[in-house]
Amino acid sequence: MPDATTEFEPVFEPVAVEARFDPPLADVDPDPEKGWLRRVLPVVLARPVSFFGPITVALIARVLQVALPAVIRAAIDNALVAKTESIDRYVVMFVVLGSLSAFLTFIYRFGMYRNAFHIDSDLRTLLYRHLTSLSFSFYDKTQSGQIISRANSDIRSVQLFLTFGPLMAMTMTMFVVAFTFMMSIHIPLALVAVAPLPGVFFLGTRLRNEIFPLSWITQGRVADVATIVDENINGVRVVRSFAGEKDQIVKLAKAATALRWSALRTVKAQAQYNPVIENLPRLGQLFVLGYGGWLVINDDLTPGTLFAFLTYVTMLQAPFRMLGFFLMMGQRAKASAERIYEILDESPVVVDRPGAANLANATGHVVFDDVTFGYSSDAKILDGFSLEVAAGEVVAIVGRTGSGKSTIGRLLPRFYDLDNGAIRIDGNDIRDLTLVSLRHAVGSVADDPFLFSVSLADNIAYGRPGASREEVVAAAKAAQAHDFIEALPGGYDEVVGERGYTLSGGQRQRIAIARALLADPAVLILDDATSAIDVHVEERIHHGMTERLAGRTVLVIAHRLSTIALADRVVLLDGGRAIATGTHQELMDNEPRYREVLDTVEDDTRDDAGGVQ
Amino acid sequence: MSMGPPAGSPFGGPSASATSAASGLPFAGVPAELADRAKKILDEEPDHGTPAVEFSQSEYAREPFTLRHFLGPKRAQIGLAVALVVVETLALQAGPLLTQIGVDRAILPKNTGLLMTVVAIYFAAIIVNTVMARVRILFTGRLGEDMMRDLRIRVFSHMQRQGLDYYTGEKSGRLLTRMTSDIDALTALFQDGLVNLFVQMLTLAVITVVLLFLNPMLAVITLLIVLPAMGLLTMWFKSRSEVGYARVRDRIADVLADLSESLAGMRVISAHNRRAHNIINHDNVVGDYREANLYASKVGAVYGPSSEFVGVIGQAALLAIGGRMVVNGTLSVGELFAFLLYLTNFFAPIQQLVQLYNSYQQGQSAVHKLRQLLATSPSVPESPHASVLRDLEGRIEFDRVTFGYKPDDPVLHDISFVVEPGETIAVVGPTGAGKSTVAKLVTRFYDPQYGAVRLDGVNIKDVTIESLRSQLGVVPQEPFLFNGTIADNVRFARDSASDADVLEACQRVGLGDLVARLPDGIDSLVHERGSSLSSGERQLLALARAFMSRPRVLLLDEATSNLDLQSETMIERALDVVLEGRTAIIIAHRLATAQRADRIAVIDEGRLIEFGTHEELLELGGYFASMHESWQLATSIGDDA
Repeated sequence: MPDATTEFEPVFEPVAVEARFDPPLADVDPDPEKGWLRRVLPVVLARPVSFFGPITVALIARVLQVALPAVIRAAIDNALVAKTESIDRYVVMFVVLGSLSAFLTFIYRFGMYRNAFHIDSDLRTLLYRHLTSLSFSFYDKTQSGQIISRANSDIRSVQLFLTFGPLMAMTMTMFVVAFTFMMSIHIPLALVAVAPLPGVFFLGTRLRNEIFPLSWITQGRVADVATIVDENINGVRVVRSFAGEKDQIVKLAKAATALRWSALRTVKAQAQYNPVIENLPRLGQLFVLGYGGWLVINDDLTPGTLFAFLTYVTMLQAPFRMLGFFLMMGQRAKASAERIYEILDESPVVVDRPGAANLANATGHVVFDDVTFGYSSDAKILDGFSLEVAAGEVVAIVGRTGSGKSTIGRLLPRFYDLDNGAIRIDGNDIRDLTLVSLRHAVGSVADDPFLFSVSLADNIAYGRPGASREEVVAAAKAAQAHDFIEALPGGYDEVVGERGYTLSGGQRQRIAIARALLADPAVLILDDATSAIDVHVEERIHHGMTERLAGRTVLVIAHRLSTIALADRVVLLDGGRAIATGTHQELMDNEPRYREVLDTVEDDTRDDAGGVQ
Repeated sequence: MSMGPPAGSPFGGPSASATSAASGLPFAGVPAELADRAKKILDEEPDHGTPAVEFSQSEYAREPFTLRHFLGPKRAQIGLAVALVVVETLALQAGPLLTQIGVDRAILPKNTGLLMTVVAIYFAAIIVNTVMARVRILFTGRLGEDMMRDLRIRVFSHMQRQGLDYYTGEKSGRLLTRMTSDIDALTALFQDGLVNLFVQMLTLAVITVVLLFLNPMLAVITLLIVLPAMGLLTMWFKSRSEVGYARVRDRIADVLADLSESLAGMRVISAHNRRAHNIINHDNVVGDYREANLYASKVGAVYGPSSEFVGVIGQAALLAIGGRMVVNGTLSVGELFAFLLYLTNFFAPIQQLVQLYNSYQQGQSAVHKLRQLLATSPSVPESPHASVLRDLEGRIEFDRVTFGYKPDDPVLHDISFVVEPGETIAVVGPTGAGKSTVAKLVTRFYDPQYGAVRLDGVNIKDVTIESLRSQLGVVPQEPFLFNGTIADNVRFARDSASDADVLEACQRVGLGDLVARLPDGIDSLVHERGSSLSSGERQLLALARAFMSRPRVLLLDEATSNLDLQSETMIERALDVVLEGRTAIIIAHRLATAQRADRIAVIDEGRLIEFGTHEELLELGGYFASMHESWQLATSIGDDA
């Protein structure tokens, strides 16, 4: 085991941002065998008071709502028809109960929304946490657009359902309470009153089955029309040149006709179902008026009860309207949840071994020991590759395109795990080290570096977010980036990608080098990192780096002679293994294959003007 | 790992919805769980055929576009719709009144026969409302959709009449919104807005009249309690929720931007141990989004119960005041019933009218913007007496042409030259000298301020734009490819071309290998703005398009300037094929291109300073000769700039 438990524990994962909100309290149940709702339950119930509180309040509010028509009923019967009591008592009671109901409705609605938005943000942050833990191999095969749609519309559809679920349950409770009350008064009249209401549910479901797919189709067609117009704006020269105006109008007319069709289909479905759905509760009121009126005539029912029933019919249609919508949302939420779980169930491939130790104060002695690796199992990129690099040595790795040069640079920071063999730093197998300490010790710069849309200073300080401006400037100077940064309107605070300022390839590479220099790793991998940089600037960069990196190990994956020339030693890679090693001159003299490789790579030497485009 | 729904969908070819589905945007393609039903609906879609379209450059409706003009021709249909709405609303609002009659005249006096009559009338009212509503929705829906379709075509047609200057001006970025959000705003206004506005106002009026008829005093009290309170409350809600939802939209955009950047840069994040930092950062962004949501939902949570409270107060007032009246005998029980029932019907119209006012405003502003667009006269108008340009020999003549994009700032001064049929001339000169403008005047993208451009001796202003441009072939500097297949793009020049013609055109310009390599051949999609083809291949496709139009006159605007050496060689080879036997003007960026021309025109500062064969100009020892010299010097040290 490595001797890494020193007294001083360095910070491998620096954090320079203050958390303004609590992290998620619970995780999604990892058991893929469980149902989708059960898996998300820990997140839903993470704040029990926020969850059960509003539900309890809602229950009271719903009962009060059911009580209101009953108060009017008593007022009509006792104060107006029988005239045995004063109306004032009932008015006061009505106002008190009604106000309380309205107030409690506000409380529970806001409470439910708040809980739902907590669930929403918990799911978002959990997904983000999981995404940052996944290995390179996951990102090699996944489109980010797909993940974003899951993180957005799918989370929203789950959240909507989870908000709506308790509300639906409460509405159902109201139905049960009101219906029980009606049954307690007059069973046949209660049954007659609600008889048309299930139709609201069935027809509503049929309407949605038509309209939901139609709305997606219509949206797509609106987009088609917009695309044609957009193309005609951007491609106006071509349209005019070929006198294509009329053809384009025909094309648009076609799209507009298709759009008209799907919009009319929607109108048709609405015309077919909506008027009936709207009138079914009125049919219930009609039944109450006819049958209930007849009962009043025969003194089996009071006029107040007749009124209360008329009100209940309107009130009770709500659950039937909501139910169908709720069921549909349930289907969508299930599909969405499964798409989210698909990501959450993806486990990271490269992980810390239990008991992995921290690598501290690395010297940079690197050994590749019979390394075999392929991105897929059927194609080996490296096949028995061995190489020892002494601490502080600068080694260039040279080979044809596809020889596995860049792969070596990806295996050392353990972006991928080996199929066979081992890589050791300071005598420790990298699999026995924590990932953060290993990656703290190994820095790399790729030929097409990714910059974030934050300021240039923040980009340079990406690996050390707390670095001072002086440190950032020093790193930028060493990477020969200082001058062009100063020339930008915003200097170091210029945000990359904003207002049309796009850096040239060479400038991006220099920022990436500054970023790696500021992180100050023990081992630095430069993967064609200066390919777009002018030879003279490259020389100055190397000069600046040599000062900062004195004693550091550097692996240079190189194309250009100018780059190779800076290495202490050159390794020639072919067929996934090192076939020759020596100084540039030695290989030139003794190794014909080396000269061949150099001939093929010299062609694509490019220069970089280095200015803002 | 399989990641969710397949992006390809059976929704009518390479549509924007299909392409954006791949990028995972909201409303991108139909979700998998709805796909079956969507397919069933689409199976019922008839073939709409090719719509008949009238298009004239010079003849179009010139009266100003106003709501009145727009609706004017449909006056009769709109009148019918109004009649339908009146019947529908009256039938709907009959319910509580019939209840009142039933209670007061039949139930309390115990008249079973009358009760049955009232019930029968009530039933008839329900049936009438159902049928009328159905007819009305269908009728106004069809009317609105027809008008929107015609308006889309009309606006787009007028856009097609506009010259290039219209598209390069400051406002070109907003042109798309004329056809999208502005027309959508009008659609919303016609589909729901106007009809609903009428329905709700009518409802309010009908209820008010009935209440006044039943009991004027109680009616006034009810209106005073409910109308102002609901109106103010709804207006408050409207303004607050707009603020709230704007904030939510901003915050979700932040969340998605942070997520998408993190995904794109995940390798850098891992390599630099930025996980912990970025997680906290994302927590913060998501937290801000949650706060915005909470604000918006609080507004919603206040509004619903508050209107409930207004309802409670209204009902309580009715009970207290109306109840006393019943006890005094000045109000019947049935009338109190009616008041209580109508009170509930009062809320929806008030709530909706506030929303509709907004939609009406948006519709009006859309009308205003569309009016401006439709009132813009084309900068290159076709003469009403324009004749059809007969088949060209290919003689081009510039006769003392002076032109500037801004009239007082000429780009070309007094240019005169003649290109004989079948001749190729190259136009060279420093950047900004006006080279490209020469080509734009031949295609009549712009009209010269002075002088004339003639083809075969005919002033191009006197011929129809279509007959002119259909005999010209243009290859622009930046090839623009349309969404669709390779064949669609080549066929752009000649609609009737067969697959064999398209294939031949591709092969002739050197795209044969590419087409053979692609699995779908000429039916391969080129994707948006041709992103999957290399810039050389895109330029070749533009050449194939020009070749397909079999023009007598060909104009090439720096067609090879943005290419690497290898692609340039391919293009040069293709040019030999395309240029054969045609009159051509090549706007040249590189002298190598200029050398293949029969004659060379040198333009500097908007003036034609030299014109002659390559040898003549070298001998002349002027501008071209010195350009040539420095070019030769540059190529000898390996730099061709």
